[in-house]
Amino acid sequence: MIFLTFIYIIVEALLATFFFKFGFKYLSHFHTLGENAQGKQWNEALQIYERTTGDNSMLILLFSVFAIAACILFIWILVLLIRNIKQILKLEKEGKHIPTFKEILLELLDSKFHITLLAAPMTTLVLFTVLPIVFMILIAFTNFDANHQPPGELFTWTGLTNVIDIFLGNSTKTHTFFGILGWTFVWAILATFTNYIFGMLLAMMINHKLVKCKKLWRTLFMISVAIPQFVSLLLISRALEPAGAINLALMKIGLINAPLPFLTNPTLARVCVVVINMWIGIPYTMMTFTGVLLNIPEDLYESAQIDGATAFQRFTNITLPYMIFVTAPATITTFVTNINNFNVIYLLTGGGPFGLDYYQAGKTDLLVTWLYKLTVDKHDYALASTIGIFIFMIASTLSIAVYNRTGSVKKEDMFQ
Amino acid sequence: MKKKLLSIVMATAMVACMTGCGNNTESASAEKTEAVEVSEEDGQAETEEEAPDEGNPAEQSVIEGDGEMISLKIWGSQTDQDLLKELCEEFAKEHPENSWQFDYGVVGEADAQARYIEDPAAAADVFSYPDDQLTTLVQADALYEVTRNVDEVKSANAPGTIDAASYNGVLYGYPMTADNGYYLYYDKSVLSEEDVQTLDGILAAANAAGKQVHMDISNGWYLASFFIGNGCNISLDENGKQICDFNNEKGLAAAEAVRAFCNDPAFVTGDDSVLEGGIGDNICCGVSGPWVSASIKEKLGDNFGAAKLPTFTCNGEQVQMGSFLGCKVLGVNTQTQHPVEAMELAEYLTNEKSQARRFEVLGYGPSNINVSKSDAVSADIALKALADQSQFAVSQHVNGAYWTPAEAFGAELEGHSTNDLQAMLDQLVEQATAE
Repeated sequence: MIFLTFIYIIVEALLATFFFKFGFKYLSHFHTLGENAQGKQWNEALQIYERTTGDNSMLILLFSVFAIAACILFIWILVLLIRNIKQILKLEKEGKHIPTFKEILLELLDSKFHITLLAAPMTTLVLFTVLPIVFMILIAFTNFDANHQPPGELFTWTGLTNVIDIFLGNSTKTHTFFGILGWTFVWAILATFTNYIFGMLLAMMINHKLVKCKKLWRTLFMISVAIPQFVSLLLISRALEPAGAINLALMKIGLINAPLPFLTNPTLARVCVVVINMWIGIPYTMMTFTGVLLNIPEDLYESAQIDGATAFQRFTNITLPYMIFVTAPATITTFVTNINNFNVIYLLTGGGPFGLDYYQAGKTDLLVTWLYKLTVDKHDYALASTIGIFIFMIASTLSIAVYNRTGSVKKEDMFQ
Repeated sequence: MKKKLLSIVMATAMVACMTGCGNNTESASAEKTEAVEVSEEDGQAETEEEAPDEGNPAEQSVIEGDGEMISLKIWGSQTDQDLLKELCEEFAKEHPENSWQFDYGVVGEADAQARYIEDPAAAADVFSYPDDQLTTLVQADALYEVTRNVDEVKSANAPGTIDAASYNGVLYGYPMTADNGYYLYYDKSVLSEEDVQTLDGILAAANAAGKQVHMDISNGWYLASFFIGNGCNISLDENGKQICDFNNEKGLAAAEAVRAFCNDPAFVTGDDSVLEGGIGDNICCGVSGPWVSASIKEKLGDNFGAAKLPTFTCNGEQVQMGSFLGCKVLGVNTQTQHPVEAMELAEYLTNEKSQARRFEVLGYGPSNINVSKSDAVSADIALKALADQSQFAVSQHVNGAYWTPAEAFGAELEGHSTNDLQAMLDQLVEQATAE
């Protein structure tokens, strides 16, 4: 344990060096995020404007987060250190055996094995997930946008401006946000349940006793899964264009005279993405349900049949409860994934058709694709980060709330 | 109780996993579509689809000389790589006073600004970008002003390109090409030289022949030609704020003309692939730039024709359509260790000899006045049409906010919307000039 104390002290010293040598110079600007922008100075001999290095708001914010994390770690290890010393003193007083370093290490493989197991995941989680998320949440309270790009310009704290912009202040942004939020939910519900219902029906149809060549049908439906999603989505988006394959085919047959605005009419575009999502998603749900269907004990059906239950009664009283029970957690996952379903929307319509009443967004944009456009195309990081926080809140609340209410969690041990 | 706690922990972990996964797929797919995306979104029509990864086995050339080793990183699009290497090595031979090491990165012009802002210090010392990214780059203080030999650079290149590469009167880069513009391609077997003078003439001839006329109205880059032609103003003020007056009387008249054009039975929209695929078949003419020249020439053969944009009827008068004319510019990164050498290299890569060579190898329209007057360039039908159109063109001083509402506006007219044009234009201007 004495050796362990030394290790703690060394770590403390390293953390302190990191903090004072590196972290502090950023943390000291944390309250303003930098005062001096990059400057210019005329160099007569070279005939150029030489640049003087200024503060970089983004680096200040980033390394401040690291410095603060280092402080927290410092305090934590300090607590461990004190506790360690106290224990040594206590053991010495009582005249008991003080564990050697080797014994402590062995303990990590035995009674404290959970610490050993979780050490790597927790460290990486904090480094690669928690700290970046904290960094991004902080950006939401700044004015980091296209007009405030480091290193040329500084950005600074603006408090709740972005949140207010979205919810109350700025009419276009508020309108856009609530418009997109509404569509995001409509989309998530439609996308999840169309796939759920039709996938279930398809699985039951294929599983029906009268259907021959079950494997052939299943394979046929799985073909659309075999093609990488983004390839098929980009191809379909081409085919739906005014001069694309589908319009040309319909015109050749003579069903229509002018091309249909599949991706340019807001309503039609929304219908299109839902329908195409069905085409992509149903095979997956079909596979899941096939597995579930094969697992329902046959004797349940037999006894129901003997009791005189109709096919519909058998479905509502045996098949459906069983399926909902097993698939509920997966459905919640799907629902949350659909709220953030970037691929289908972005590759198919790119969020379009754009609306004049929307701020840099289109009528099929989800919150997450809008966020993407704001960051990648418009460099409006602050606004995007605010939306990101909101998406996270929706996703986590929904998941936790609904997940805990599902039968499979409440009656966890029933099917074991 | 314990079970409940456990389930909460599990749920949190699940959410964390899901959000984590979500992010991954998002960025992966984002990268995949980046090349496609930029060309459509910015209305800035780059056809070269660059590999989005600059970490490709980067080419490097080292030329030993007398003095200290100068190491420079250069970004160019995939198609330009060979020529870039050739010209850089020539430059090194002409400057034996130093040793040179050049690292070539594949970053297309369309991605230059985004890549630069990701990490300025890791960006190339010399990189090419289209002039519409100039404002953002200057605001991020990314570019060195051209201060050495500035008069030579200004006099050697066409005034339009100097204007395009300048911000508030200060030149921020070395013009390299002057072909980021658009004009009319037509099928000579359907349209005569007289027909293509007016939009009405084109539509009449096309309708008579049962053919279509292509223009991507739902792209702010092409849409603007009507407004610019009728004397509207789209530019930046000295603070970099967007000026756009498309909602005044002239703009309204231009918008009426756009609506009439979109409602004509011969009108067809779509991006370049529609034009390239349809010309010679169902499409008899279309508006695009030099990047589709080769493929259209191949399809039309002897019937290949190119001309300046036609005039259109506006309030009963014939008005010449305007256009944007942009150029590709070589800029020097303010973060570079060797500013003077980087500037010399940039100047060399854009001088008369290099531009002549670039036209010879890649067919890019030169910004250099002498090269553009040369016989070889004058003989190119497409570049001649571009030059004819350039007198009606303005530099593309446009911020990012314009493109999305302009696309929305164009798409509504393409969809034969009957909404009030004045209200739509007001919305367009409000969004385009928003901070």
